[in-house]
Amino acid sequence: MLAYRGGDAGAFDRLYARHRARLFRFVLRSIKVRAAAEELYQEIWMRVIEARGSYKPTARFTTWLYTIAHNRVVDHWRRGGLSLVSLDDHEVPASSPDPAQHAEAREALARFAAALERLPPAQREAFLLHEEAGLTVSEIAAATASNEEAAKSRLRYAMAKLKAALDDD
Amino acid sequence: MTDERDPKLSRRYRELGAEEPSRELDQGILAAAHRAADKAHAPLVTPAGRHRWYFAFGAAAILVLAVAVTVQVERQQPDPEAIPASPAPVRSDREEGFSYQQEQQEDRKRAEVRKQLERPKALSEVAPTPAQEAPRAPSRDAANRVEVEPKPAPAPEKREQSAAAPAPQAAPSPEVMASAARLSPERLLERIAELRKEGRHDEADKALAEFRQRYPDYRISDEMLQKVERRK
Repeated sequence: MLAYRGGDAGAFDRLYARHRARLFRFVLRSIKVRAAAEELYQEIWMRVIEARGSYKPTARFTTWLYTIAHNRVVDHWRRGGLSLVSLDDHEVPASSPDPAQHAEAREALARFAAALERLPPAQREAFLLHEEAGLTVSEIAAATASNEEAAKSRLRYAMAKLKAALDDD
Repeated sequence: MTDERDPKLSRRYRELGAEEPSRELDQGILAAAHRAADKAHAPLVTPAGRHRWYFAFGAAAILVLAVAVTVQVERQQPDPEAIPASPAPVRSDREEGFSYQQEQQEDRKRAEVRKQLERPKALSEVAPTPAQEAPRAPSRDAANRVEVEPKPAPAPEKREQSAAAPAPQAAPSPEVMASAARLSPERLLERIAELRKEGRHDEADKALAEFRQRYPDYRISDEMLQKVERRK
């Protein structure tokens, strides 16, 4: 990011390639509608580009990036309802040729998705930041402007609920 | 503890899908980033753009308001040249303690007297012309005048009716009587002298009598007295 701030456009290309998919999924699973997720995703990157001049390497770029993403998602939640992306349109990879097993896997995944969707927004965000963005508890706390205890608690509750959903399989 | 991932949970989460942004989205963002890099530190999206619109609109609104207020103030200010023009004669009457209502009453009385005295005269002689009416323009007579002026030769009956109206249209010497109420004593005496000079002695006598009635304390100089009094 410092290189990009100095005018190296190629540095941004590398940053973007590294974070694009994970950031997109974080946004997509925080927001139900793909079009809205794309719009929000674009806004996040535009904000990164705009703020390049004020960027200070006090933390990892990833934490800074997801702080921006968190703020944008919160803004979106405030503007309207919140939900995770529906899995109805997602096809489970056909790893097993057995149709019965395939259907069972699809149901298990649907239960997991439903459990993820039922999580309180703060817990779901903590889990997504941890699982998708790879942030530690302290980084989650920094990105969500909360303290470590709160972030740790949210993440623990989220994981416990999701594990319970898995145990039902 | 929580910093460590649960492999089973992570695997299940990965099964939800590996969605990625569209290629168009990628290209748009990268193009924007490159444009921004080319412009050095200039902001990609001017943050003040929206505010700039507000400033322009606000400035225009203030300008329009200022012009409107200025025009309004100019309209409401009285024309300094118009102030002394029309009310001057009225003011002089008031200084003499002669109100408009009194003037009207006296005009009516005079009109009655003159009507009786001047009835034998030809109508054409007593008919006031618009030019004669012009200097006397009390606004309260406007309606009556408008009805009379356009008729060059009214019937005798109508003439009598109009003579009884507040305005002394049928007075024998309307120019004298009309202006009498507004003229200063000196000017009034000069008018009487003019009448006398023209041989209109009856009118001059009446005007002089009215003058003395109106200004009982006014001392007429000997020179003027010779001009205004009928010589025997």
